[in-house]
Amino acid sequence: MRRSTPYLLLLPALVLTTLILAFPLVQNIVNSLQDLSLMDDSGDWIGLGNYVEIFDDDLFWLSLRNTLVYAVAGTILSLAIGLGFAMLLNMKVGSIGSTVELLYTLPWVVSPVVAGFAWKWLLNDHFGIINHWLVQSGLIAEEITWLGSPETALGSVIAARVWQFYPFAMVMFLAGLQSVPPVQYEAADVDGATTWQRFRYVTLPNLAAVTSILLPLGIIWSFNDFNMVFVMTRGGPINASMVLPVLVREYAFVEFDLGRSSALSIVIFALLIALSTVYLVIISRRRVA
Amino acid sequence: MKKVTIQALMVVLAIPVMLPFLWMFSTSLKPLPEVNQYPPVWISENMTLDPYADMFSFLPFATYTLNSLFVAFLATALTLVFGGLAGFALSRFRFRGKEVLLMIFLLSQMLPGASVIIPLFQLLRLLGLYDSLLGLSLVHTSILLPFVIWLLYGFFNTVPREVEDAALIDGCSPIGALRRVILPLILPGLGATALFAFLGSWNEFFFALLLTTSDSVRTIPVGIGLFVGEYQDVWNQMSAAAVLFSVPPLVLFMMMRKTFVKGLSAGAIR
Repeated sequence: MRRSTPYLLLLPALVLTTLILAFPLVQNIVNSLQDLSLMDDSGDWIGLGNYVEIFDDDLFWLSLRNTLVYAVAGTILSLAIGLGFAMLLNMKVGSIGSTVELLYTLPWVVSPVVAGFAWKWLLNDHFGIINHWLVQSGLIAEEITWLGSPETALGSVIAARVWQFYPFAMVMFLAGLQSVPPVQYEAADVDGATTWQRFRYVTLPNLAAVTSILLPLGIIWSFNDFNMVFVMTRGGPINASMVLPVLVREYAFVEFDLGRSSALSIVIFALLIALSTVYLVIISRRRVA
Repeated sequence: MKKVTIQALMVVLAIPVMLPFLWMFSTSLKPLPEVNQYPPVWISENMTLDPYADMFSFLPFATYTLNSLFVAFLATALTLVFGGLAGFALSRFRFRGKEVLLMIFLLSQMLPGASVIIPLFQLLRLLGLYDSLLGLSLVHTSILLPFVIWLLYGFFNTVPREVEDAALIDGCSPIGALRRVILPLILPGLGATALFAFLGSWNEFFFALLLTTSDSVRTIPVGIGLFVGEYQDVWNQMSAAAVLFSVPPLVLFMMMRKTFVKGLSAGAIR
């Protein structure tokens, strides 16, 4: 076997990922320093002008806030529901458990476009079933325009996101729960532990590893998520649910400003690196302590 | 808690989970006047399959479907071949830069699509691959590759070295050993990986939306996602399209659920 064999085997994958993932990242930095329009690729160098424009744009700050709310709230809710469902499914109750597990997993399998579409129709102010039920039951007096009012739009999109993402957490938590050594529960029982103590001192510590993957991964994936907001609200009404990935498209394909769009995508990338670093620091501190 | 209580709780909680699906399915069977009727009903007295036929004339869904199939199959095939070779190399060889590569593949999972889209758009336009099925397939391949490499790397690691050594002693080349001995052993894992890749490409929206522009190249999610806002009134036909579009993923997933879930969670927990 020659020394070059592994490199040859890796070559196709490396060429493709370099061309389509690594090269664009570098090219983006070049783009972001130019006044570049969608119509005309030959841009003038304007230094950090695009970045200045972005940081002067109120819409950027609003989108940043929305993105953080969407990513953090969406992920924490998904993990909480995923954990609840996983614990429920982990109780052995016969063959029904397997069917229910399948049903609980389905939202994860369909396209985010379908998820967004289904929720948009579910939340339709006049013909959607949710408003109908709420009005019928007397919980609300008037129909709520869930996606049409600035107060509820972002929350509604988060609901759809949680519906689609919790199954991933559930599957991971369930695998984690099933790998807890039964001995630990037996020991807890011998010591006379209550249900809460069993959960707090046996279950949770065993899920720490899974959680430490799910939480940052969920936040990062949601931070990058374009689909749900685009399909359900396109960032509206009046930008109330605008998030950064959708704003990248706005800048590029609605305002035709490729330079500013590239600069924004670099800002997003930098924010992600910052988020990951903070997370890594927290994790390593905890290990030391 | 009693067993019956738990079972009841499980079923009750399945209602909100299934609600969006059920409401969409119910709508896909309604004639248009009943879609825009207040109060809404679950089961129409005039239940009809017409929306499933009408959607094909309302938008070119037949073309979208063929495009989606082409892109998903090509991306899956390319991802498995390229990812298989890479995963094999990472699992079976010692070489410089191996750890770094694995880490880079892992981290690229976190790369925002928004951070590569504009240069990618420029690059594909330059290569004449913008707004083409081949271009979109290649992009899907490369966004799926890092995770697929990790999955296959894990599966290759489950095959003991001795099995391969035996084949090598019998005169197989490394690639021959891969093809005749190792691949058959990790077939279930390969299946799960193929499913992951197929679903990833079939469901993908962001790149498909921004890297295609003409109807003859669009995939189904773009058709649905783009027209959700514009044709608000034909919710029954859009629902029918969304239901049909979701059938392949749902069926494939139900068939391969056990291997798929095991493969994924094993990869994450390991």
